[in-house]
Amino acid sequence: MTTLSFFTDGGGMHAWAIATAAMVAAGCALVGTLLVVRRMSLVGDAISHAVLPGIVVAVLAGGRLGGPLVLVGAVAAALLTVWLTQLLRSEGGLSEDAGAGVAFTTLFAVGVVIVTAAASRIDLDPACVLHGLLELVPFDTVPILGVEVPRAFLTATVVFVTLALTAIATWKLQVFTAFDPGAARAAGVPVAAVTTGLLVATALATVAGFEAVGAILVVAMLVVPAATAELLTRRLHRIAVLAILLGVVAAAIGYLAAWRWNTTAAGMIAVVLGMQYLACVLLSPDDGLVARLCNRGWFAWRVACEDRLAAWWRAEEAVARGDTFPSAEGPTLGDRVADVWLAITGRVSRGPRGWTLSGRGREQADMVVRSHRLWESWLGRHAELPLDHLHPPAEWIEHHLGAEVRRRIEAEVGTQASDPHGRTIPPEP
Amino acid sequence: MTAPAGIEPLFAISHNTLVVACGVAAVGCGAGVIGCFGVLRKRALVGDAAAHATLVGVALAFLATGRRDLPVLLVGGFLSGLAALGVLVLLRVCTRTRDDAATAIVLSVSFGLGITLVSGITARGIPGGAGLEQFLLGHTAALTTADAILLAAVSAAAVLLLVLSLKEATLIAFDSSFAAATGWPVAIMDYFLVALVAVMVVVGLPAAGAVLVTALVVIPPVAARQWTDRVPTMLLLSGVFGLASALFGVAVSAVVPRLATGPLVVLAAAFIFAVSFVGAPERGWWARHRRER
Repeated sequence: MTTLSFFTDGGGMHAWAIATAAMVAAGCALVGTLLVVRRMSLVGDAISHAVLPGIVVAVLAGGRLGGPLVLVGAVAAALLTVWLTQLLRSEGGLSEDAGAGVAFTTLFAVGVVIVTAAASRIDLDPACVLHGLLELVPFDTVPILGVEVPRAFLTATVVFVTLALTAIATWKLQVFTAFDPGAARAAGVPVAAVTTGLLVATALATVAGFEAVGAILVVAMLVVPAATAELLTRRLHRIAVLAILLGVVAAAIGYLAAWRWNTTAAGMIAVVLGMQYLACVLLSPDDGLVARLCNRGWFAWRVACEDRLAAWWRAEEAVARGDTFPSAEGPTLGDRVADVWLAITGRVSRGPRGWTLSGRGREQADMVVRSHRLWESWLGRHAELPLDHLHPPAEWIEHHLGAEVRRRIEAEVGTQASDPHGRTIPPEP
Repeated sequence: MTAPAGIEPLFAISHNTLVVACGVAAVGCGAGVIGCFGVLRKRALVGDAAAHATLVGVALAFLATGRRDLPVLLVGGFLSGLAALGVLVLLRVCTRTRDDAATAIVLSVSFGLGITLVSGITARGIPGGAGLEQFLLGHTAALTTADAILLAAVSAAAVLLLVLSLKEATLIAFDSSFAAATGWPVAIMDYFLVALVAVMVVVGLPAAGAVLVTALVVIPPVAARQWTDRVPTMLLLSGVFGLASALFGVAVSAVVPRLATGPLVVLAAAFIFAVSFVGAPERGWWARHRRER
């Protein structure tokens, strides 16, 4: 089987399934972005469970999956969950998660009992509830302009386009409400209506995904792409676009992987979403774990090198002053490695006693020692610390001060040429 | 024990069904008791992440041993549930993802992985693999006597551990900063309580399934809380509520085998909660309504 025929065989069966999953993922990711930034991820979780009885009752009443009656039923069930949670909180004193825990598990249980009890009279597979039947989506089609289009794809497209247009039209309100609901309310934004709109949107995105991925795995499509995108950027509209792209990519990869390993597409899509998230947790450029570890390691290495430069500078100063060569502590392994690196980069060279600073090394060492001694002078003047307490903070901050800060400290402590210990402060190189 | 010939059709319940019913009732009772501290500590949904993640361990344990022994599967489920909680803590510490999103991510991705594994096993027709799906919504009909005794024993052990540490658990549930200030190891106690919840979630799997088992540790405690302000009374009531719900679920699904046990247990618990919510003497809706008038 060639690659192309995989997508075109059987009236483009796989292509339609992937397109449906991608459309569902796009709608969910868009809604999920707002849920995640508004700290309502668990509301998404609750709603995705709780739409089940709404869908089931609507189907029993003669609705079709993806039809208007089912959409209405799902939205009603979603609003019922949120209303119940709030009622349990205000009237029963339950914490929000306990209230949601009671409301959505109960509604989901109602849905499952009806599905299994009325299994003979209902056109709804119980397996659909748990992991959807993306594989069967291409077989339930309606003709559009002579092309047989899967019904689920149509529903998902209509829902996504509606959600996208609404989101674009109300974007400023959404951003305002998400980041400062108090100010938004004061400025006359109908915050409650915006929130209810988001709940309705969540229900619509969930019900569009119900057939394809089931009621539970839709949570992955809602929350994971947005949380992943949030690790990569901080602008809300970029998060939304990125989340949609991530969702679409995961839908395609997940479907193909599920086909390759003969398992459920919905589960595999959730797994791919999880892998995307994990990859970003590790590799995100600003605050991925790898980037942070590298930064930390790079900084530790710079500190080690600068400390060695300063050590050789002080050794030369001691010799020039006629003191004995300071050898209180032998160099550690890290010190030796740093010395070798300094030699390789031409900042020190072999001298009579260990290493001697070269021109460039001396320049850098001047800056480090200068930072150190200026800071000691400043502390000695302003912090009223005893002399033997000046060294440790200076040892830490000498790696952080820039030329401008050094200049201003010098202006502050005066251009005296010695630090509180009476040692010379080297001039700015 | 044999029943007299005349009434046999009425009581056509086998010895096994009775033992299973008692075992599952013990699980319901234990889950109700253990769940109290999750609810009091306002961490009702922590168990949900662990519950959804158990499916991965169950499937992996089946793949590793090739058999469907309940103890092995449950140990696998327990380990993957704990792993999920560990991942949750790591995400909280190492990333800027918010707590609620982290919970939803762990819950949905681990459930997706579990579903993928279970479906893969089913599709390959590995013998015994088809039965794994009963861990999704719970089905007690397949339990053996030995399984039921195991479930009851684990539940009893968990409750015993909780009762032994009742004083400390109560202290951190109501005033954790005081407990921390006076030198109690609050973090360790928290992990201990969460681990107990994970244990109950796992032994609750055969009864309620991965999707709904969290209701066993949430709804009975919340219902019991409506009736009392005292911890021991709440534990007792919650245990009784859990026990009654579990018995109802087992009984109905024994009569109508098509119905999964889990949703029935949850519905029974929800009914008890509704009654408590409306009719409890002090905090109930009806009592407050009358006081206000």
